[in-house]
Amino acid sequence: MTRLALNSLRHRAGAFAATAITLFLGAAIVMAFGSMLDTAGGAAVDSASEQTLVTMASVVGGWGLVIVAFAASSTLAVATRKRERELAALSAIGATRRQLTRMIVAEAGVLALVATALAVPLAYLGGSALLGVLRDTDQVASGVEYAFGPIAISVGFAVTVLGAVGGAWVAGRRITRLRAREAKLAASLDDARLSRKRKVAAFLLLALALDLAVVTATVFNGKGIDAMQTAGQASIWASIGIALLAPALVGRFATRIAAALERRGGASGYLAAHNMRRRARQMASSLMPIILFTGIATGTLYMQAIENAAPAVTGGDITAAEAKNIETLNLVVVGVIAVFAAVMLINVLISATTQRRQEFARQRLAGATPPQVVGMVGIEGAALVATGILFGSLASLATVIPFSIARTHQVIPHASILIYLGIVATAVVLTLAASVGTARRAIQAPAVEAAAA
Amino acid sequence: MRSPHTAKRSAEAVRLVDVHRTYGPPENPVRALDGVTLGLPAGTFTAVMGPSGSGKSTLLQIAAGLDRPTSGRVFVDGVEMSAGDETELTRFRRERIGFVFQEFNLLPTLSVLENVALPLRLAGRRVDLARCEQVLRQVGLGDRLAHRPPELSGGQQQRVALARALAIDPVAIFADEPTGALDSRSAAGVLALLREAVHEHGQTVVMVTHDPVAAASADSVAFLADGRIVGELVRPTAEEVAERLTRLADERERLAGGVAA
Repeated sequence: MTRLALNSLRHRAGAFAATAITLFLGAAIVMAFGSMLDTAGGAAVDSASEQTLVTMASVVGGWGLVIVAFAASSTLAVATRKRERELAALSAIGATRRQLTRMIVAEAGVLALVATALAVPLAYLGGSALLGVLRDTDQVASGVEYAFGPIAISVGFAVTVLGAVGGAWVAGRRITRLRAREAKLAASLDDARLSRKRKVAAFLLLALALDLAVVTATVFNGKGIDAMQTAGQASIWASIGIALLAPALVGRFATRIAAALERRGGASGYLAAHNMRRRARQMASSLMPIILFTGIATGTLYMQAIENAAPAVTGGDITAAEAKNIETLNLVVVGVIAVFAAVMLINVLISATTQRRQEFARQRLAGATPPQVVGMVGIEGAALVATGILFGSLASLATVIPFSIARTHQVIPHASILIYLGIVATAVVLTLAASVGTARRAIQAPAVEAAAA
Repeated sequence: MRSPHTAKRSAEAVRLVDVHRTYGPPENPVRALDGVTLGLPAGTFTAVMGPSGSGKSTLLQIAAGLDRPTSGRVFVDGVEMSAGDETELTRFRRERIGFVFQEFNLLPTLSVLENVALPLRLAGRRVDLARCEQVLRQVGLGDRLAHRPPELSGGQQQRVALARALAIDPVAIFADEPTGALDSRSAAGVLALLREAVHEHGQTVVMVTHDPVAAASADSVAFLADGRIVGELVRPTAEEVAERLTRLADERERLAGGVAA
């Protein structure tokens, strides 16, 4: 089975591209921040610098693990679903479920190893740039030498391989539990029901976010910039918690939006509404990164905007220079996470849309013109991005409202709406460009050939 | 513009005039079709046969508007196939032509009834569900309306595809190896339905197949070799078809041997 795994990686590299890019970027982020630990272990590092470096590495590295595991499992779920037929064929010729799961896990493991190895140069550069920022803002003494060593590499490999293998195991188990015929049925129709585990996980994450929000608004009320410690995390946990509920959100909300568009969108709207209704799980994998991107970017950027506008707290507060440092770091962190969420969004949309080549071809053979097919994908994308922005914005409130209360005693922050409009515009452009652009390319080939593929 | 499905139809459903189709680079072209002229009267059932690589699938795709000829003209119901872009060609096709493919090509997310009504919806035509149901009853699937294609057997799926083709009341139905993925019993059922569409409902059917038994269901068989029509059999039997095919293959081999020698 390991040999089969290597073979399928070699011959179908394209199918694994989305997962590979996600793992590559994730490994680069984890190792860049991990190298702060190597740097902290250097000979000439004073204790204050050391503490900054360790804090930086563990906070962001921890987020890295969460996000990489989440991203790996969602791209792998998309990639594995695409192969249901192949897996059904393997099971028909006698492969056991354990063998199939082992094959999927082995593929992901090998992919993670390769992606992490390739990410080392990028991580080195990223870590060195990060240390540069820390030195320039005087959070780390200027004499501290950059080091990229065993800790960065071992943390990078451990986090990426664990994330990928864990994600593959979850994705593989779901698929291999189905028998050949059932797999074919499942590929054609999946429902919006959430598993019990998913519900429990989402509930716990949302409870954690709520707890952090309450602590921010009460315990840290009037304590100045310290409130960021709890406020920043709240929207990240809330976004992940809501993203786990994505299949149900597609079922309840995106489908309604698509149904409303159906009345205006003719046959394209009709097909889009049907796909929303009957492919909730597939649509959910595209919805999740939209929620994460909107939620995390809105939460963190408004937290910083509120902080910038807030009055300095007298006594025991930090200096203007320190505040500036924290702002820089916040922007670095939100930048890294937002870029990662954006890459994941593009990745998932491109691979999910490419996989539908055969479906598009069948629609064309049934009489759909190219504009009708592209229109259908556009309507689906619009319904998904509207739902994603709505729930991502809700998740961001877990940071924004408590932090605004803590810093300015106002529920509604005094901050420009332009940041939000920028985030919304980015989400809309990324979603539509990735899905509609891919659909356009996917229908270039003659319909007869694409339908037979 | 007159609507092709309500107006009186031309006596000739499909006409190809000196159709050529070449693939590959101009310096080393592969001639899939090499000057095919063919007329198919309305209300007939024609099978197209030939050794593999003879161009029979290309012929079907060009006649059906799924591919364009390199040169030559194609008429469906007396109207020349538009030379416009893919969208125009799709519009031309979906008003006039029904398809049945070896792999069914049904949409798995839609129910049987929704699949049959889809081409009408896409064409912006009035969706007459009662008529779609009636066509499904005609192919023996009146009790499977709400099922989805993956829940049906291969033979049943192919009958859904046939109902989908019939529902638009096409000028012609093009079938590409419609029994290729079916067991012999299901295949016989689908062939009987195709014959019934022609002889009882006046449809025109063109079917590409490599199976002499399937070809024997047709009123006539056109034989294709190296991109040219090389013969015809009227009211064929499976034995005659098989014998003619063997002879075509032998001639090819002799020709190839002659060139080598």
